[in-house]
Amino acid sequence: MLSLKNISKYYQIGGNKSFVLNNVSLEVEEGEFVSIMGPSGSGKSTLLNIIGMLDEPSEGYHYFAGNAVHQLKEKQRAALYKQYVGFVFQAYHLIDELTVYENIETPLIYQNYSGSDRKAIVADMLDRFQIVGKKDLFPAQLSGGQQQLVGIARALITKPKLILADEPTGNLNSKQGIEIMELFAKLNKEDKVTIIQVTHSEKNAGYGSRIINLLDGKIDSSIKL
Amino acid sequence: MIRNYFKTAFRNLWMNKAFSVINIVGLSVALACCMLILLYNMDEISYDRFNANANNIYRLVVNETSPTGVENKMSITGSISGPTFKQQIPELEEFVRIKNDYLTVKHGNDVFNEDVLFADSNFFSVFTAPLKSGSYKNILNGVNSIVLSEDIAKKYFGEQNPIGKSLEIKVENIFKPFMVTAVTKASPQNSSIKIKMLLPYKASGSYNETQWLNFHLNTFFKIRYGADLNRLEAKMATVYNNEAKSQIQEAAEKYGNKDKIHYILQPLLAIHNSMEYPAVNGLASSINPIFSYILGGMALFILIIACINFVNLTLAQSLKRVKEIGIRKVVGGGRMQLVVQFLGESYILTFIAFLLGIILVQLVLPIFNSLSNKALSFSYLLSVKLIVSYTLVMLFTGLFAGFYPALLLSGFNPVQALYQRQKFTGKNYLSKSLVVLQFTLATFFIISTITIYYQFDFLTHFDLGYNDKNVVSIKTFNTDKKLYQVFKTELLKNPNIKMVTADQGGRESMIAKINNGEQIDFDVKQVDEDYLPLFQIPVVKGRNFSKIMVTDSLNSIMVNETFANMAGWKNPIGKVVDFFYIHKKFTVIGVVKDYHLGDLNQKIPSELLRMKPDNDWGNLFVKINEQNKTASLNYIEGTFKRLFVFKPYEHSFKDAENADQYEAEAKWKQIITISATLTIFISCIGLFGLATLSAEKRKKEIGIRKVLGASVELIIRKLSVDFLKLVMLATIIATPIAWWAMHSWLENYPYRISINSWIFLFAIGFVLLIAFLTVCYHAVKAAIANPVNSLRSE
Repeated sequence: MLSLKNISKYYQIGGNKSFVLNNVSLEVEEGEFVSIMGPSGSGKSTLLNIIGMLDEPSEGYHYFAGNAVHQLKEKQRAALYKQYVGFVFQAYHLIDELTVYENIETPLIYQNYSGSDRKAIVADMLDRFQIVGKKDLFPAQLSGGQQQLVGIARALITKPKLILADEPTGNLNSKQGIEIMELFAKLNKEDKVTIIQVTHSEKNAGYGSRIINLLDGKIDSSIKL
Repeated sequence: MIRNYFKTAFRNLWMNKAFSVINIVGLSVALACCMLILLYNMDEISYDRFNANANNIYRLVVNETSPTGVENKMSITGSISGPTFKQQIPELEEFVRIKNDYLTVKHGNDVFNEDVLFADSNFFSVFTAPLKSGSYKNILNGVNSIVLSEDIAKKYFGEQNPIGKSLEIKVENIFKPFMVTAVTKASPQNSSIKIKMLLPYKASGSYNETQWLNFHLNTFFKIRYGADLNRLEAKMATVYNNEAKSQIQEAAEKYGNKDKIHYILQPLLAIHNSMEYPAVNGLASSINPIFSYILGGMALFILIIACINFVNLTLAQSLKRVKEIGIRKVVGGGRMQLVVQFLGESYILTFIAFLLGIILVQLVLPIFNSLSNKALSFSYLLSVKLIVSYTLVMLFTGLFAGFYPALLLSGFNPVQALYQRQKFTGKNYLSKSLVVLQFTLATFFIISTITIYYQFDFLTHFDLGYNDKNVVSIKTFNTDKKLYQVFKTELLKNPNIKMVTADQGGRESMIAKINNGEQIDFDVKQVDEDYLPLFQIPVVKGRNFSKIMVTDSLNSIMVNETFANMAGWKNPIGKVVDFFYIHKKFTVIGVVKDYHLGDLNQKIPSELLRMKPDNDWGNLFVKINEQNKTASLNYIEGTFKRLFVFKPYEHSFKDAENADQYEAEAKWKQIITISATLTIFISCIGLFGLATLSAEKRKKEIGIRKVLGASVELIIRKLSVDFLKLVMLATIIATPIAWWAMHSWLENYPYRISINSWIFLFAIGFVLLIAFLTVCYHAVKAAIANPVNSLRSE
């Protein structure tokens, strides 16, 4: 599905390069459920953002679904991203001014779905996540777990092949965390969605098929479960 | 998709009510200004265009060049030029002469003075003037026919049908009956020719006049379509030189007038905004196009200031929206889609402001009309052009206000936005320079306002050199000199009436010879012996006219100081002025101190006073006591009406008349005051918004500072000093510009204030104070807030 070759990301500070990622190579197959672990500052989020094409590496080769991402123009990258990737964040990142329904609907708007199509797709999604009753509420009126459900629903609405999740349970209590992780596992198994998550929790990492440990911008270990 | 944008936009506006209000108020006021000025300019441009023949009608105007090369441009001609040119030049299809007069009209027992126009009988085939009743056939053919406007018809005949009825009008000193043949609809407000009473030119005394060099009326031609103007003017020159040959010779030999006359054709559509050949003698006065430009400039400035508020507040607020932008990008929003969203928001706001602006225009239109001397309304100016220009103004405003913020906000990097790493790099020079620009304009307007007030005060409180208090001035003409004496004697019987005098009315210019045949130009004033004492004008040398000295009314004159200086006389008494063309010589018996009877927009002319020997009187002046004014006025009116049976009584106080001379200045004063108020208001609400955001942004910093022991004053200073620096810079930039502008404006006045540094200091102080108070509200609020609250919330 995707492959990173000798990817580095650094910032120039004075005469020195400060590396966030240092010569990372990584392959992810379709249908995998990868967990990225590592201490704070080891480059987990940066790696995730580069995979998701939100961030650009300073060096290296990046292939995604058969495309050489490092050679693509901004617009083509955006198109690729739109087609394949859904993001889930630790802080949910819902738009406060929009209702649950509208938050989930937004990606469809940007992909130019017609109004009636959107209605049907969003209704399905609300049904599937059993949040029909909350569709007219604003994010501030929901619990953290509910907000993250909405966040995942939004990420899934365009049927992406790849879900990137940056500490999706970081702000949740353990019961809510388990629900979210089980949802991910189910998506991976039943819908064959590739998932890459960043996590601090060994237990959460255990839901996946592979654990990658990052340390100081390098892959320390990659363990298949 | 659009609906989704609308929803977010409205929710955003609603959530940030304070800023929405600031933006909408500022923009709607500014848009209202623009719409008003557009209406004004639309009206100006549309002048006379309603005439079906508008493009083929020209006015004959004159360039008069003296042997020394001085050019005098005149909008009027003699009576003979129209018919002569038409007869000899076939391209001139028709001519219409229009002459104005002010005549006494009698109907039953009512007597009024009315502005009338005399016009050739083909007036209605050249100009467009729809009739309310009557027919175009023979409309002005008879010498005794008259056409009335609907208002005038109503004034004299009420609801009756006026056609066939008659009015008595005093033409050439005799009341003659005129029969109403038609009633016109009210002349459009944008017409140079406004019909009230239209009489056949045949009835005027000057109809048969053959003098080329006597200029007193407007001559219009309808010219053949496509005729070449240059060739026409050349032909006119030939005709003039042939036909007027003997008169030109006579003028040169008898009066020493060797001026060259050159005839020019001025398009009808150019008259209203022409300063070279303005509309005069009965046409609605021309308006200097500079007024349109200045008003347009002011409106544009105000709009810019309001747009700057929008840009600045959106930028300052964008911190709050960073997250939203990041999310939108992460869930697949493209940059263009975001640009469209943000522009959409600015358009929604602009559109709301636009609607409010239209309501505002309707509300203030009456006030604006009285300020601009117009009768503007949407009803007659509503046209495709107006709608298109309004729409353009709105589209431009939305784009101008929204474009930069849209571009900037849509360019945020989503990763930085979501991980709260988005910083506002740089020092925000754009916002800062925009604030400086706003306050530069505001300071400029305030300096202008103060200067104009000061100059106005100077003009209206100027020592005129005579006392205009408690002087009743009665406007009249052709007052019989014997009756005047009776009137005077009758009035003086009343103890409240101190003195009575008269002059010839109007301004009369003349030339005469002095010293050894030198020519001198001057104004002549015909007065009686009580004129100088009544106005308390001091005689500086010699003596006043005297009733007892018989020779005074025959060959004595007085001159003013300017005259004496121009003549170069050290001791003017006994000097002789030779009125060579009537072969009469006059001797100077006294010199009067210079006084300003006219307005201060002109230097005092050299003036010569004569005691009126033979002709009738014009204006009458009555000095009354401060007490019992009403009784005195009633007495004067009663006496006047008893003695002058068919004369309308029109009176005013001389000091009020003097104040009225500065009507134009008074209007400018109001216009500039309004502009200054609006600019400072809109600038300040913008600054208020910025200060709000800045205080919010620095809440934590202030909390930490307070915990560390900073005093309230220190924090207030910290928060306000940044803004005040910008405002200070603005005042520094505005000062030289304002100085230059005001200097140029004052140059127009022969009597003017000198620009004082206190005007600038006061204006700068005022702007800084207003800005400080605006910023202070938030600074104080932030400074006295409990730091625990702001720190805990982080």
